[in-house]
Amino acid sequence: MTTSAPAHETDAERRHEHRFQVSESIARLVMRTTANNLPLSRDDRPYQWSTTTYCDTVAWSIFRAAQKGSAMQLRIREYHRTRPREVLNPGTAWIEFKDDEQDTSLKERFGVSMDVARSFLRGEAALPEQDHGLAERAAGLLRDGARPVAVTQYNRLAYNSLDSSLRITADHNLMYFALPWETRNDGDSEPSPLGSLLAMEPDVIVEMKWYGELPHWAVDLHAYLKESTREERPSKFIVAMRWLLGETDGTKKTKKK
Amino acid sequence: MKAIEDAVRSDAPATRVVVVEDDQASADVLQRRLQANGMVVSVAHDGRRGIELVEELLPDLVLLDVMLPDTDGYDVCLRIKSNTTTSPIPVIFLSARGEVVDKVRGLSCGAADYITKPFQAAELLARIDAVLGQARNPRVPRLGRPIDRAPGERLVARVAIADAALREHVEQLLVSRFDLADETPDVVIVEGNAAIPAEVPEDVAVIRVSAGRTGNDGNEVIPVDAQLPRIVDLLVRERSLDHDLQAAAEALIVLASAIGSHDRPGAGHGERVASRAVQIGRALGLDESTRMTIRLGSLLRDVGNARLPGAILSKSGELSPEERTTLERHPILGEEILSGFKRLSGLLPIVRHHHERLDGTGYPDGLRAEQIPLEVRIVTVADRFEALLADRADRPAVSEAEAVRILQSAVARGELDAAVVAALATQVRTGGSR
Repeated sequence: MTTSAPAHETDAERRHEHRFQVSESIARLVMRTTANNLPLSRDDRPYQWSTTTYCDTVAWSIFRAAQKGSAMQLRIREYHRTRPREVLNPGTAWIEFKDDEQDTSLKERFGVSMDVARSFLRGEAALPEQDHGLAERAAGLLRDGARPVAVTQYNRLAYNSLDSSLRITADHNLMYFALPWETRNDGDSEPSPLGSLLAMEPDVIVEMKWYGELPHWAVDLHAYLKESTREERPSKFIVAMRWLLGETDGTKKTKKK
Repeated sequence: MKAIEDAVRSDAPATRVVVVEDDQASADVLQRRLQANGMVVSVAHDGRRGIELVEELLPDLVLLDVMLPDTDGYDVCLRIKSNTTTSPIPVIFLSARGEVVDKVRGLSCGAADYITKPFQAAELLARIDAVLGQARNPRVPRLGRPIDRAPGERLVARVAIADAALREHVEQLLVSRFDLADETPDVVIVEGNAAIPAEVPEDVAVIRVSAGRTGNDGNEVIPVDAQLPRIVDLLVRERSLDHDLQAAAEALIVLASAIGSHDRPGAGHGERVASRAVQIGRALGLDESTRMTIRLGSLLRDVGNARLPGAILSKSGELSPEERTTLERHPILGEEILSGFKRLSGLLPIVRHHHERLDGTGYPDGLRAEQIPLEVRIVTVADRFEALLADRADRPAVSEAEAVRILQSAVARGELDAAVVAALATQVRTGGSR
């Protein structure tokens, strides 16, 4: 059980989430417009590396549910100045639960030490239950055998409105890795080496997340992104899992929103 | 191609540099400047060619422009740093982009340094020296706990040092732990780069020592001080252990190979599985010792077949349920055979569990997921892959790409480790050789 209250962040309600795959030049224009209207996120240092370790079961139940349009991702997020070649490194880890539906998402996350995150993944540590019940669902996934299986790494530029009602991010250098199934002993606290590089994203992934109505300039920006996007983007989790399972080239088209 | 030939022709131990620079004039100037300082330089004018050169030549250093015609330098750097073979090679960015975010982005991709154009040649060379100096940490002999040895088990050391004073000093240090003699030594001590006495057999350990500073010319040279007996003892013991393990394993591999000649996938299958499994292990960053375990475990995984009726092993048609049950005992029988060899205990999980599946439907123990060690999962994938490439009575051989697809289906069903199959798929896709 955790002994101290972890840092906690959660969405107040479901929010819209749209993803766009665009060229570097389009992304620069988009982020310039964004920078004129939103402040740089205080929590995301520009060009730091985000490393996200995704969990799934041997039957890939989370991935299969995500493909049908509704699933809860269970993942561990780490931030580093330079790209780490291992995951689950000592330091602060964010245990994240993200409940995705077709057009919206609900996210909740807990900042804890990596030791606590490891205990949580082994089903030994519990997190305080919050409003949305995501932690309990995650514990259920772990009881069903969910473990870390795939990793994404990328540089993120993030802009947030002051009231957090709108967030626009651009992810560069997006890389997908396999992760061998964990066989660590209970007391083992060594980081896990990344497996094979599955793919690198040649483009930039721009994401818009918002509550309620978009401001006028953001409506225009959204329309511009929709015109300029090369393909409708599934979530990074789905793309990573497709690569991992060899199911497509990782970018199978989905119906545009 | 010319760039590779130029680099390979040079036998001198010069620093090898790959320059990735799209501007021909800049590349020429850089190449001449580096060559004038004794470096062997190969040039690529786009990112794809740059990565090819780095993978072919494994240079000491990469100088990388950010703006390239087909991709950007960040992408090239990330690909170099994501490949376990090329990741130790230091990369220095050379770019006209001098904003802080550009430098941060370059360094965050794993570069050792970021130099903005235009630069002074002297500064570039100084930074190259600094980066290479960091990358070339001299090897230091590992120290271990002293080995307690019974009086009758003392090793014989021969001190073949010409300098009388140094020889006497070394003998004084060693005499407490070794018998000193010129005949049938276990270890021969020589000074620095001195020649090894011609009559010393090749399999005798040779240790080079120096009264001064340790050298850095490719040979590991141990300083003559109070630690010398312990280090010599440790190195000889390690070598002896390796020899014992090899000898025991080789004897068993001969046996396993003889059995393998009756094995269903055909002769040579065991060696192909071992080779493939070691490749996968390397791609997953496993150390040499673990790869050795994987190799020996692969070769001996079916040694239990020695206790099965030959009629089952050589049967070409479908097995009856009873025959299937008998055949599926071979992992347990193999473990029983090898458990008598203490030195091979590390191989037992591979021998016993190489038919287990992540979803618990394998045999003999029905282990699930994390209960199956990674080394075992690697051998399982290599075994199934190589079996698919061979003709069998009940089906023809398939191509490597088709075999990968079949294994990916097994991953989707929850049988195999996705990351292990992904490593194999990458090898097949990039044409990785055995």
